[in-house]
Parts: sequence; C-alpha cells; structure tokens
Amino acid sequence: MTALLDIRDLTVTFPGRRRQESVTALSSLSLSLEKGESLSIIGESGSGKTTLIRAILGHVQPSGGSLRLFGTDVTLASDDEMTDLRRRCAMVSQDPYGSLPPTLTVLDAVLEPWLIVRGRDTRKEAEKRARELLEELGLGDKDILSSRVRLSLSGGQRQRVAIARALILGPELLLCDEPTSMQDASTRGEIIRILQRRQQAGMSMIFVTHDLFLARKAALRGIVLHRGVLVEEGLCRDFLAAPKHPYTRALVAALPRLGKPTPAEGSGLPTI
Amino acid sequence: MIEIRNLSVTYSRMTGEGGNASADAVRDVSLAIEKGRLFALAGESGSGKSTVLMAIPGLLPRGTKISGQILLDGKDLLSMKEDELNRIRWRRVALVPQGAMNSFTPVITVGRHVEEVLSVHLGLSKRDSAGRILSLFALAGLDGALASRYPHELSGGQKQRAAIALALACEPGYLLCDEPTTALDVITQQGIITTLKRLSDEKGVGILLVSHDLPLAASAASKLYIMKDGALVEEGDPRTIAAHPRNPHTKALVNALLELEEDPS
Amino acid sequence: MRGLLKRWSFWCLMILVLAALFGNRLFDAPPGAEVAAAFSKPLWLDRTLPPTLELALTPEKPSLELDWTYGSPSRFSLRVETAHSAPDRFVEWRIPDREEPFRLTPLRTGTELDGRDISFKRSLGLPPFGDASSALFPARGAYSLSVSGEGDWQGSVTIRLEGGRWGLLGTDQRGRDIAALFTAGIRVSLLVGIFATLLATILGTSLGLAAGYAGGWADSIIMRVVDLLLSIPLLPILMALAALWGKGLWQLILILSVFSWMGTARTIRALALTLRDAPYIEGLRGLGARTGYILRRHLLPETLPVLLATMTLGVPGAILSEAGLSFLGLSDPRVISWGRMLHEAQSFGAFTAGAWWMLLPPGFGIALLCLVFLDLGKYLEERVDPRLRGGGPS
Repeated sequence: MTALLDIRDLTVTFPGRRRQESVTALSSLSLSLEKGESLSIIGESGSGKTTLIRAILGHVQPSGGSLRLFGTDVTLASDDEMTDLRRRCAMVSQDPYGSLPPTLTVLDAVLEPWLIVRGRDTRKEAEKRARELLEELGLGDKDILSSRVRLSLSGGQRQRVAIARALILGPELLLCDEPTSMQDASTRGEIIRILQRRQQAGMSMIFVTHDLFLARKAALRGIVLHRGVLVEEGLCRDFLAAPKHPYTRALVAALPRLGKPTPAEGSGLPTI
Repeated sequence: MIEIRNLSVTYSRMTGEGGNASADAVRDVSLAIEKGRLFALAGESGSGKSTVLMAIPGLLPRGTKISGQILLDGKDLLSMKEDELNRIRWRRVALVPQGAMNSFTPVITVGRHVEEVLSVHLGLSKRDSAGRILSLFALAGLDGALASRYPHELSGGQKQRAAIALALACEPGYLLCDEPTTALDVITQQGIITTLKRLSDEKGVGILLVSHDLPLAASAASKLYIMKDGALVEEGDPRTIAAHPRNPHTKALVNALLELEEDPS
Repeated sequence: MRGLLKRWSFWCLMILVLAALFGNRLFDAPPGAEVAAAFSKPLWLDRTLPPTLELALTPEKPSLELDWTYGSPSRFSLRVETAHSAPDRFVEWRIPDREEPFRLTPLRTGTELDGRDISFKRSLGLPPFGDASSALFPARGAYSLSVSGEGDWQGSVTIRLEGGRWGLLGTDQRGRDIAALFTAGIRVSLLVGIFATLLATILGTSLGLAAGYAGGWADSIIMRVVDLLLSIPLLPILMALAALWGKGLWQLILILSVFSWMGTARTIRALALTLRDAPYIEGLRGLGARTGYILRRHLLPETLPVLLATMTLGVPGAILSEAGLSFLGLSDPRVISWGRMLHEAQSFGAFTAGAWWMLLPPGFGIALLCLVFLDLGKYLEERVDPRLRGGGPS
C-alpha cells in the first residue's frame, strides 16, 4: 500500500540575498506517513519545520530528493494535479489573524473552501456541515455565526474558526503549524481534543510544535528537527523520558514544568 | 520595595459608534515587588496583568481612571507629577515592554540605542559610554561584539537581551518585564529566564515578570501571582499553588497542565 | 456612521445638494435670464440706489401711489395689454411739484415703451438724448400712476423701473441674477467633482488591483504608465486637451479622470501587494479559486474603506481643476459654473465696475465645497484608521 506521504532525502535550499549565502532549510530529510497515522514534528524557529509543510503542499520547490503525496510526485505534478492534491489536505497555522478572511462572517468563512471546491449548488449541505462543526467547536451561537471575522472574536475563537474552515471538506491530511502557540492554556486543551477526535475518525495529521508535551499528546510518533536536519525520530514519549540526541536533551531540559522543578543554573531560588 | 495597594483601573474605550464604554481592566489588586527577588504575574490574555505592570511607571493612556496606591519605597507613584515620574522612569524603575525586541529603530545599531539612553538619562559622552555598553551587554548575556550590529542582524533572543541591556542602562532598582519570552524558542527562553534570575540574585534587582505561560512563570519566580478577569485569584509560593490551587479556574488550569506533563503510559 | 451626522460638512453638503436640485425653483426667472440692469448691486448693499421695481395697474386697481425716496432709476419701460383699445384714455404719471401729469401713452393694445425710445421722449416733450427716467423721476416725493377717464377698462398696464439694485447678490454684466447663477452653479461643481473622482477611482482601483495582484509584466507596464502620466503637468495638458476635444462638460469630466487616477492606483497596488501574500489568500489559490473570485470577494472589500476616504479627498481637486479651466475660458460657455462666473467677471469688467458681488459668491462657493469634502474625507479617513480609541494592553 502506498504511504500517504513519502519523503526521501529531501533538501531545500534558498538562494542567498545580496551579501548573504544561500540558506539550507532542509537537509536530506526522510520520513513517511501511512493513512490514518499522525506524526509530530518537533522543532524551533530555523529548524525548517515551516519549509517542510510548505514543501508538502507544493509551495516550495525542493532542490533535491523526492516528495510523494498521496502517491504523486509533487515536484513533477502539474498545476491541476497539485490543486487536486491540496484539496485533500488542509492547514491550520499559528497566526489566526492571517488565516481567516477578515471581511466575511464566521459562517461564510467556514463555508468558503467547500463552495470553491464543490461549487455553489451544494450550499445547503455545506451549511449544515458548517453549523455542526462550529457547534462542536463551541461557536454555535447565532450571533457569533453572523458576526464578521474582523471584529469581536478573541484569538481563541478565531483559531477555532480557522480549524472549522480547515475541517469542513473532511481532509485526509491535516497539517498543523503551531496551532496553539498563540492560545491561552484553556483553549489549548480544547483544540487538541478536537483534533484527537478527528484522528480517531481516521484523519492523518502532521503536528508541528516546539512543545514536547503537546507533541506527545498529538501523535504517537515524532521526529526532532534542528537546523534542517532530522536529529532524532521515534516515539514522542521516548523523547521526553529518554532523549538521545544532545539537542533533544537540551530541549527537554529547557521545558518549564509546573509539576517538576526546572534545573536552573546557579540560582539559589527555591524551585518547585 | 514597590507596593501596590488596592489598584483599580478602568479604561475609557471609545467605541466605533462614538459612544463611551468603560472596561474594568483591574479590580482591587494588591501585590509587592521586593529587591533581589524575581516575582511573576501570570494570567490569560485580558486578565489585566499587563495593565498592572504599565500602571507602575505611569504609562497607561490618558483618560484612564486609576485608584489605589503604588508605593515606591514609601512614595505614591500615582500622585506624582509627570516630571517627577520622568526622573524615576528608567533610573529607578525600568521597563522591558511587550514586543520590545521588535521595537528597535532599524536604522541604528543596538549599541547606539544604548548610547542614546545613556546620553539622555545620565548625560554620558560617547567615550564614557563605550565601556558601560560592554558591561551592560555582558549583564544581559550578550557578546560585546554585537553592539555594532543592526537590529535585523540579530536573532530574536539576542534582540530581547539587547532590550534588557537597554532597560538596565541606568542601574535601576526594579525591572518590569512584559512577556519577555513570548515568541522565543524554548531553549532561548530558558536562557533569558536564567539571565533575569542572575540579575535579581547577583545585582539585587527586583523583577516583576508578566507572562501568560503559567509553567514558565511558576518555574522562574520565587513568588507567583495569578490574575483572572482583572482580579488577583492566587498568590504565593509556586510549588504550593501547583499542589493546592484555591481558585476553581486555576485548579482546572493546573490540572490540565499537569495532565499534559504526565506520561500517558 | 452616526458620527457623520455630527459633522457640519455633512449637513452643509445636504443643503448644497438640495439647493442644486431644487434651488432654482426659488427664483421666478431661469438663471440665464436677464432680470435687471447690468452690475446691479445686491439689495442690501446701497440703499440710496433705487431697487428694480415693477408696478402694475389693473381694472380693479386703476391707480397707484408711490413714495419715491431714491435717485432716478436707470431705466424705465412700460407695457400695455388690453383686449380692446380705448384711445381716448391715457396712462398718466404725476410727479411731485407739477400739476400737469405726463401722458405716457394711450391705452392701445400691445404697447411697449422704453425710456430710451426717442419717439417716446418726444411725445413727452423731453430732449431726444438722455434717459427719460431722470425727467420722470426728478426728485424724491410722491408719485402716482393712473388711467385717465371714467368707467371701466380692460387689460393691464405694467411699468418696470430698473434701479441699481437687485436680489440677494446683485447681477452680472448681462443683468443676470447672481444668486440664481450661484445656485445653478452648484450642480456643475458637484457633478464634475463627484463624477470625475468616481471615474478616476474606478480606473485607479482596477489598474491598482491588477498591478498589485498579478505582478510581473502587467505590474511593470501599469506602473510605467503611472509614472508617465504623473510627470505630465496637469493644467497645461488639460488646456491642450480642452482646446483639441472641445469644451463640453462630459469631455471635461473624462479628461479630469484620465489624469487623476494614478494616486489611487498606487495606494491600491500597495494594498494588493500585502494582501496577496496573506495566508488565507494563498490557501484559496491552492484550493483552485480563480483570480477574479479572489479579487472580487476579498481584495476589493478590503480596499473599500480606503477608497471611500481617498475618493472624498480627491473631490476638491476635481472641483478646483474645473474651476481653473473654466476661469481660463476653456469650458462650455452655455454651462453655468462657478469658474465660468469668475471668468466672465474677469473678462467683462467686474473689476473696473467695482462689482465685487460677482466675484465673492463663486469664489466662496468653490472654497466652501472644497472644505466640505475635505472635512468629510478627514472624518472617513479617521474611521478607516482608528487611532484614538482608548483602551490599552490586557
């Protein structure tokens, strides 16, 4: 059975601007994802995680290696083939402000992807789906549905609308790029729960984050990226319990925890 | 010591329709900042924590209703006139505001930024500032060679440290930090927190750290305040709060966070 | 938008629009009609001058008394209308300090006399040169007009005395009512101002969106055209084009729009460039949404607030350009506009005649209209870019 996503020795290099040298965003990266499976990508800024997501969606041309999405080689796909592939995916990004059209109402913002892909004749069905989704996300209130995205919604509400917009077409693969980093702790848990429900229903997911705890909650398997290189791969909980690579170890050590003390350097302060 | 007593803040918001709606940002909050210690004020967005911070150096917008007292070594900052407050700002109470790392002027070097502060507030000449700049950078954990770089040439963490160096220019007794680690990598975050802890330990600076990241605030501070919807709902030793939160919201939050940190196996 | 109702400029504009639409009904004669002597002063200006009057005699009211406190009128004309003539009956005019009335004319159908007619003057025994009015109105005092003889007569007798004063704002060199001209001129200024700016905005928005969103060679070409048009000085080119293509009103509007769309295009292009790379737009493109859809549904609504403000601020420019061109004589002479009024004032000797009432109203009108749109534009701009909205960090 062909893997949903098959990446082999992927390298992405950006040419340098003016005096700067070229930047290698990803270096010989290999990973694979089966249908119904989820993967956490742990990385900080500069690790290449965003480049990886963009390469999967075909927005970035690889300089080397191969990337097959749903069995099709992304580098060789035509524009129409790419559009078909992208319609089977969806993305939730970090910033809910740029990912929603500000002039539409909440309901219209969620409907839009459906109307574009399936056409306007199926509007009734689309609306039903949208309302169900928003209800599930706690945004079923009539006033919220008809209010414009630009006004009055909080960051957490916006992110939930963005998730509804991503889920309305029932994507086979959901790509999440730090979807909770701008959210309050209370919304964070809710968002993870919603995503987990979809995973149980068979959706594949790639969850990019710098937070190891979230990575462990989002998926069983994970990889750790550092400066474009895959430094560790395996089960997320093993990264936390027994990190092997020095970078992973440093990451685990730096994580602030409520329950266990952080080994602070040279501070005489009481730790919890 | 900075002592905040019964602080209440109400913003006058001008809504789009020309009406006036008041928003209670802070309701009857009392807390203290001690020299040589790092205290943290945590809360969700909209809890009023940044407002409390900005009230201390008198940086709330005009027309805001403020009541209560903010005592700096006994003198009430809220009743001071603007010129008196100006002498206190930066010299005795320094601020690293939210998004400081993105607020540098892009056309001058970071070293020059510090030079200007030293010249304006302490009247130091260019020659005298040079040595001072290096020591400030060292305090903030920055390589002195970075002083000749422009802001866009530094990483996020380096810029944040430069902002801290700027704030420390006049050797203030108190440092107020508003979300100094947001948008930074975990490892960089840890570095900044370590630097701040060192400042309070070794230099005796009294630090108030405001953050929406509860685990971060709890692990950094020796005393933790938690705000929700404008009111103070928890205060005390972080370890105690984690073990026995009083407020139901805090309880739910702490439970959720602890559950996340536990190994699901 | 309730704040709009609090602006003086909004109400001023409403009044001007109403005046443009219905204003001319306040006047008896159409704006271009000659109503009084040339360069008549406004009524309130010089009370020593006689106003322009019309006196009428009817069978019900066969005589009329008049207390004349001014100097003599500048012109005198008489008109008789009657069903059948009664040549033995005359229109008599009594002046103070003279027993014998003047017999102006027998009651004959369709008689029209003017104080300058030589035969009329001869019939009264006046010297043939000079106006009869000074003889008929020698001094201040009581005058009376009547029909001689007994019995009924039919028809009407109307005497028209043209003084040096007329109306609210006096008259121009052709004796036209300036207040009526002013009111008629509002229409042109509003029309040109709004339509020229509207067309320019539509042109600028379409080209700006195309350049910003499409990028590439379309962007380059459009921007070079913008640069080219911006480097052409506006007034000389307008003059040349007006001379070439004629002076009609719509030609003027077209020419003005062709030369003022560039600023809007640049602004809209900058906006389109930032919006183009917004994540949600990229996502829509990825899903296969067509460019037209994206422009229509997303980019255009985003630009509307800016557009409204820009457009309102562009109207004064168009008004001033029209006024300038008209002042230089490059507009349609049949069309009444404030600029045209200024042109005629200057060309036909208002300055030498000291007729400042011809200059001030149109000049003031232009300034007022520009201020109205500037204030409205400023209000709209503030609404788009909310600066002072109180509140602070959370």
